[in-house]
Amino acid sequence: MNVFLSAFWAESLKAHRSKISLLTTIGFLILPLAGGLFMIILKNPEQARAMGLISTKAQLTVGVADWQAFFGMLSQGIAAGGAIVFALITSWVFGREFSDHTAKELLALPTPRWVIVGAKFGLIALWILGLALLIFVVGLGVGTAVDIPGWSLALGWSSFWTVLLTTLLNFMLMPLVAWFASMGRGYLPPLGWTILAMVFANIFSVLGWGDWFPWAVPVLTSMMYGTRAQDIGLHSYVSVALTFIAGLILTFHWWRSADQSR
Amino acid sequence: MNFAIETNGLSKFYSQVRAVDSVNLRVKPGEIYGFIGLNGAGKTTTIRALLGMIRPSAGSVQVLGQQVGPNGRGPWSRVGHLVEQPAAYPELTVRENLEIAHRLHHIPDKNATARVIEQLALAAYADRKAGILSTGNLQRLGLARALLHEPELLILDEPANGLDPAGVVEIRELLARLAHEKGVTVFMSSHILTEVDRLATRIGIIHKGRLIEELDAEKLEALRSHRLEIRTRDLQAAQRALAKAGFAAKANESTIFLNDARAIATPEEAATILVNAGTPPFRLAVEQEDLENYFLRLTGEKT
Repeated sequence: MNVFLSAFWAESLKAHRSKISLLTTIGFLILPLAGGLFMIILKNPEQARAMGLISTKAQLTVGVADWQAFFGMLSQGIAAGGAIVFALITSWVFGREFSDHTAKELLALPTPRWVIVGAKFGLIALWILGLALLIFVVGLGVGTAVDIPGWSLALGWSSFWTVLLTTLLNFMLMPLVAWFASMGRGYLPPLGWTILAMVFANIFSVLGWGDWFPWAVPVLTSMMYGTRAQDIGLHSYVSVALTFIAGLILTFHWWRSADQSR
Repeated sequence: MNFAIETNGLSKFYSQVRAVDSVNLRVKPGEIYGFIGLNGAGKTTTIRALLGMIRPSAGSVQVLGQQVGPNGRGPWSRVGHLVEQPAAYPELTVRENLEIAHRLHHIPDKNATARVIEQLALAAYADRKAGILSTGNLQRLGLARALLHEPELLILDEPANGLDPAGVVEIRELLARLAHEKGVTVFMSSHILTEVDRLATRIGIIHKGRLIEELDAEKLEALRSHRLEIRTRDLQAAQRALAKAGFAAKANESTIFLNDARAIATPEEAATILVNAGTPPFRLAVEQEDLENYFLRLTGEKT
């Protein structure tokens, strides 16, 4: 356990000192703030027009100003935006070892390679969870400040669990991103893969096969109260779980066996 | 354990390229082994194979009596290494970079980081971010990381890279001290042959992936060619006098060279001939071929 904690401490220090932790937090905080702005506008579109918050020609058809719509916005934002932001974090945690040429310092150590890879995944999991919780808590604050109607404790809890489930599903897609970062030795291959996966997720969703495509599952799950919710089933979660396992196997195997000739 | 490093038929092929071909290395404990070769000769590939960073296409590697295998298996708590350009986390300070290595090596001595900072003269830079270090100080950081856990074996790829002349001498003395006082085995690759020449007790020469020569420093001394170098005011007259006395003299614009064993054994004879011929030498010395010339001659890069 001490071995893992040492590796985890090292990974945490790297993350703590990097600018990316601050940038991802600030970037993700836009989500509840933008959600709050939408709620203000939806609550009173005429006043928003008069204040110049929206154009007089704007047609607002996104929904009504209540907690259910606000939570829906948050969880969908975490699902869709999170796929990009979480992939950015994963790409950095793994890819920076190659772009900074520090990977070679992690290979011939008394700390086994699998422990280092495990510590990286542990850090990513906590980082992602922390971001999702931060967004939810800030969202609660913004929603209260804006005085959105329709609050109930049951709705708050169910939205909280939806956010957690969406975050977990997104996290389970990250090992494959880590593998692309390791195999591609940098940031570009995993980010390229993420964009490609998002494009395909949209295509599959439009074709009605999104529930079978792992990269579409978090977004569909986040629409639990929407019309798409019925698409999601056990098969969807199994597809995400299989992607998770495949990503872990590929990443651990790569760090164990691949030639580190650069 | 007979050898600190032992490879048997170590080979690494990349497609058609034979980066390392059937290399049999034997490095004894306490030795300072200089591993020299041209760019692309296979030095770094060999070092990566010794550290388990690449899987050999054929052959085996033993380090400190332990087989180096997949999954990074090896005696790494007893080995310090520096591979190619030193790398560090740029946003972390020198001290933090070393603290990470300290943790990952599970070093019980809490003062180890402070000790290597002092040892490598990094105290003035300890709280500076690694990203703004000079190449020389980055190299010192890499060496500090290699020495942090007081290893029995140091595997160093170009340890003098980026160091200023004073730094080169300092590191040479440090490595010599570690070998002589603490019995640390040093395996170092270098293209600065004068450094290897001054430090190594044994030398291996790798060329086009093959270990073409492996010899002790004393044996190398004997193998290097010697010649008598003479400088005088009248080169032509001196050359004529030496030829008349039976010496095969060659000359360039300023110096006469005699390669005969007789001239090397009795340089005073050549001096007497030149004095008698009215062209006394103002410089006369038996010079030994340096490692650089020996290396170039051996690898066929210079005839």
